Amino acid sequence: MNEALDELTLLETLDHLLDRGVVVAGEAIVSIGDVDLLYLGLNIVLANVDAIKRTSKR
Amino acid sequence: MKSVVIGAHLRRDDIEPLAEAIAAGELFLSGLPVADDQPLGDRELLLRVAKIRAALLERATFIAIRYGLAVSSPAEASAKCAEHLERWRALLEQHRDEVEMTLKVVAPERVARPDRHDFKSGGDYLKALHAATNAVEVDPEFHTAAEEAIGKGRWLHRDQASLELAALVARDAVERVRAAGEELKRRFPHVPFLLSGPWPLEVFADADRE
Repeated sequence: MNEALDELTLLETLDHLLDRGVVVAGEAIVSIGDVDLLYLGLNIVLANVDAIKRTSKR
Repeated sequence: MKSVVIGAHLRRDDIEPLAEAIAAGELFLSGLPVADDQPLGDRELLLRVAKIRAALLERATFIAIRYGLAVSSPAEASAKCAEHLERWRALLEQHRDEVEMTLKVVAPERVARPDRHDFKSGGDYLKALHAATNAVEVDPEFHTAAEEAIGKGRWLHRDQASLELAALVARDAVERVRAAGEELKRRFPHVPFLLSGPWPLEVFADADRE
């Protein structure tokens, strides 16, 4: 249970870090490392949704 | 060296010594100095920034700046943020005693994501994608109960499987909202949701979401 909660907390934290807040004009990054940020963000959102479902079933 | 910018703050002592304070007009940006060749996608860096972000919020409410902005000097910071500074200052003064909390609720059914190959133009595809995202709905009873629990905020459609309610909460009401979230869980055991926060000003500082 703790592992599931830790995973959920981490995903939520990354979701907020990468996909919230003010975008300063011209500074939105489209990739970090070799990973497309839109792709990464979408996967975090989807993983987050799955994690919420798993955690709430317990 | 460059500094990964974390947020915008009213006062220097809201930042130091947790992070570097970078003057930008009358405000200060919090930053984490890193080597010029440091990749921003580094997992450890992301986690460090997330940790500092949380510690800064304990000090005072600030405006979150989307991860990815890096500056090399106060002059560069001021130039890049110039158009926002006046608005940010007003927001920071207005919401000094508030933080954001979010309630992410999983929709009963995932709305099908449009297939790019079904559309002749990228514009039509984006419109369909937007429509699919906005079609996500949750139980109206839960919708109302969620607003009663954390406050009437902004409902955000972010993907085809979930909806999110973001609300401004007084700093001294965070525990009360968490308790209301637990009560919501008892009332709606069949609705998977996550109440999280406190967060800095994210949704309520984002002009695109007003």
